Amino acid sequence: MSKEMRVPTVGESISEVTVGQWFKKDGDLVQLDEVLCELESDKATFEFPSEASGILRIKAQEGDTVEIGGLICLIEEATEASSSAPSSQPSTPSAVKPAASGEVKDMIVPTVGESITEVTLANWIKKDGDFVTLDEIIAEVDSDKATFELPAEATGILRHVAKEGDVLEIGGMICKIEVTDAAPVAEAPASSAAPASQASSSSANYASGHASPAASKILAEKGIAPTSVAGSGKDGRITKEDAMSAQKPTPVAQATPAADPKVAEAAPVVPGSRNVRREKMSSLRKTVSRRLVAVKNETAMLTTFNEVNMKPIMDLRSKYKDQFKEKHGVGLGFMSFFTKAVCVALQEWPAVNAMIDGNEIVYNDFCDISIAVSAPKGLVVPVVRNAEAMSFDQIEKEIVRLAGKARDNKLSIEEMTGGTFTITNGGVFGSMMSTPIINAPQSAILGMHNIVERPMAVNGEVKILPMMYVALSYDHRIIDGRESVSFLVRVKQLLEDPTRLLFGV
Amino acid sequence: MYDVIVIGSGPGGYVAAIRCAQLGMKTALVEKYSTLGGTCLNVGCIPSKALLDSSEHYHNASHTFTTHGIELKDLKVNLGQMINRKNEVVKQNTDGIQFLMKKNKIDVHQGLGSFVNNTTVKVTKEDGSSSEIQGKNIIIATGSKPSSLPFIKLDKDRVITSTEALNLKEIPKHLVVIGGGVIGLELGSVYARLGAKVSVVEFMDSIIPTMDRTMGKELQKSLKKIGFEFYLKHKVTSVENKGKEVTVKADNGKGEIVEISGDYVLVSIGRRPYTDGLNAEAAGVKITERGQIEVNDHLQTNVPNIYAIGDVVKGAMLAHKAEEEGVFVAETLAGQKPHINYNLIPGVVYTWPEVASVGYTEEQLKEKGIKYKAGKFPFMASGRARASMDTDGLVKVLADAETDEILGVHMIGPRTADMIAEAVVAMEYRASAEDISRMSHAHPTYTEAFKEACLAATDNRALHV
Repeated sequence: MSKEMRVPTVGESISEVTVGQWFKKDGDLVQLDEVLCELESDKATFEFPSEASGILRIKAQEGDTVEIGGLICLIEEATEASSSAPSSQPSTPSAVKPAASGEVKDMIVPTVGESITEVTLANWIKKDGDFVTLDEIIAEVDSDKATFELPAEATGILRHVAKEGDVLEIGGMICKIEVTDAAPVAEAPASSAAPASQASSSSANYASGHASPAASKILAEKGIAPTSVAGSGKDGRITKEDAMSAQKPTPVAQATPAADPKVAEAAPVVPGSRNVRREKMSSLRKTVSRRLVAVKNETAMLTTFNEVNMKPIMDLRSKYKDQFKEKHGVGLGFMSFFTKAVCVALQEWPAVNAMIDGNEIVYNDFCDISIAVSAPKGLVVPVVRNAEAMSFDQIEKEIVRLAGKARDNKLSIEEMTGGTFTITNGGVFGSMMSTPIINAPQSAILGMHNIVERPMAVNGEVKILPMMYVALSYDHRIIDGRESVSFLVRVKQLLEDPTRLLFGV
Repeated sequence: MYDVIVIGSGPGGYVAAIRCAQLGMKTALVEKYSTLGGTCLNVGCIPSKALLDSSEHYHNASHTFTTHGIELKDLKVNLGQMINRKNEVVKQNTDGIQFLMKKNKIDVHQGLGSFVNNTTVKVTKEDGSSSEIQGKNIIIATGSKPSSLPFIKLDKDRVITSTEALNLKEIPKHLVVIGGGVIGLELGSVYARLGAKVSVVEFMDSIIPTMDRTMGKELQKSLKKIGFEFYLKHKVTSVENKGKEVTVKADNGKGEIVEISGDYVLVSIGRRPYTDGLNAEAAGVKITERGQIEVNDHLQTNVPNIYAIGDVVKGAMLAHKAEEEGVFVAETLAGQKPHINYNLIPGVVYTWPEVASVGYTEEQLKEKGIKYKAGKFPFMASGRARASMDTDGLVKVLADAETDEILGVHMIGPRTADMIAEAVVAMEYRASAEDISRMSHAHPTYTEAFKEACLAATDNRALHV
């Protein structure tokens, strides 16, 4: 039998993932735990290791969005493949299938996710008594998190056990398949010998993905590979309509500049490119955009500002940075000062560290500080946990570790969930003043900015000092002005005189 | 300054010109001869088909009408009238092209087109006067001419090419045809039906050697019935015009020289790309040793703004191939990305029975090591064919052994020239033999034979054999 590999449950709120790059090709021999592909969720990119050794049969293509529990690929057992077909030729289902009819395959509700204990049979796609082939989708099943499709586990005659609307427990019986010999149609699924077959979709056929003459011209003009188009024609053939509605998946180099006499004559030559590119939004960016708008709409957000004289911190840094580096192996940055200052202030003003959950306010007696990091695929916010109990060097090390993982798209969902307060540093890009948006469900966010020299009045004298504006955006529903302003003033005090951190004053 | 200049007005050239005009380009067409249409319309497909149809009518009248219950007395051929009608058909067609040029606002320049440089074409009229036109892009569509053997003197009187064979003043008593390809067999058929004895001398071991072997064998059988005799594996060594008679000597491969005498010898050993007088060198266009213009996959020559299509470039010398290429280049120039599937350009022989094929031959599949299954259906078993007394021939479908995809279709029989279109459509969509088997075909028709052959290929379950 072949092993079905499905999208694992990756985090509570994640219902679907996008298939990123495949590292292995269809038909490759893969080993247990070998990384097969990347899956992108709206929170993180993670690697998808093989759950068995065998021959890979890709079912979800790059760019496909697959729900949790959805089929990604099959791993055909290598031993089975090698015993039935010693050459590289893939075994056909007829070779795999138990030859004797009369055998009955019981199909049970598969485990679809950790927290899911029961599912509802939404509808039967195949009727009772229908002939079904291995991996053909026979039913749709709803869970409270997602709907998923149920592929046949054998080829044969389908016998329904559960009815539509039935609530079934995981492991409950759905149907039986009376295993029979090959379908009445003699058509065998595509083999590697099929000429020019590039198909590998679920109902793969030698002609799957074959573009009709008109479709193939349209796709060529759009610069879209037929392999990236799901054909709606018979056996997955790509029709003219499919080609017309196909979207370019990734930016492709400008179309070859073919001489177009019409255009050349019509308009005087304008220098500069007029090229327009369309790129699919990553899941991450889509989610970020959706959430940012939601936060603006759903919270009573406003921002308070203050200014911080950065000279004391800068002096301290220049005084101790070499020793700090030598002792701890990590640079002494501003982030540790800010994080420590924020933690002290959060403990004094717990509403800023709280969040709304329905009709309740959840106060956190710990400070898990989210640090906004600009990663290649979009903004991510890894969390420094229990920052209130950490030393300066621990904070610096943790930030370096998380930022590194963010850059490489290696952050786990775990590392990004559960922050209680966020610090964002627009200053690294030169921002002077901004009103950051709250990182929901948190209630407040501190915005750092760049440090500029400004004339400041100190004891009745004008002095040129390095100054930073700090901003606190907060949800006015649970944080009052007194708390927010006081919080920010407290942060300012602690930053302007870091020794206060030592004495807790 | 034109956007496009097309040199040559055959089916490749004039179609390219129309498509360019349709796409909004200012287009010129240069033609050496006084009539448009090139070889196909003037001395190729159209006139030969006209004579083929006329001679077929006569043949039927003299051979099968009695069986049909039609009796005719004093049946005879008026060759002059037959040729006149043919000329009339040609005229209508070439005039039609003239009209199409006007309709599409294409400037026709009559005269020999030759390159001055890569954007300038000189048009030289028969009276020696010349003018120059300029184009941003130039499409060479100068076609081909009958080729010959070095020792054969084409006197165009007794030793003739297809061009002269279309205008003979008398029906030959014995026509010797050198070359068992499409042109020789078609024109041989015309005169065989009119009563000539036709001897075909072919170097290869089968006629129409480029097509599926079964087709050659079947066609040979049918042609023998109307008075053909075949000298296969014979290498012609000399052709001698002795006034009223021509003698062809050929080596039969066993070291013996066979002598065949007839009153006319038709030399139809193929055609060669025609670029005489084009002065392609002036534009820097590369021509291969075989006289072909070298092009890349976009039919672009080594000079970026010069393209070439049809018989003058690689590939089968077929009017419909040239047409596809004409459209291809026009659309490419307009910035589109057209396609041609060269494997799916059908080939047709207008003998009776007609031969038509598309895709791989059985021989090619064997050579490529592709596992296939063959389904055949003879017209003898077709109700329609029997009703029409056209029972010669068969349809052969070659399908992939595993996927059942149709890989090649070869037909010999009545109206297969038209029937092959169904196979082309099927193969463009990569249909399986069973797909065709499951589509309704009108009854009684010849196309049922295709369905039956597909059934045979699917699971050997043809219904009517």
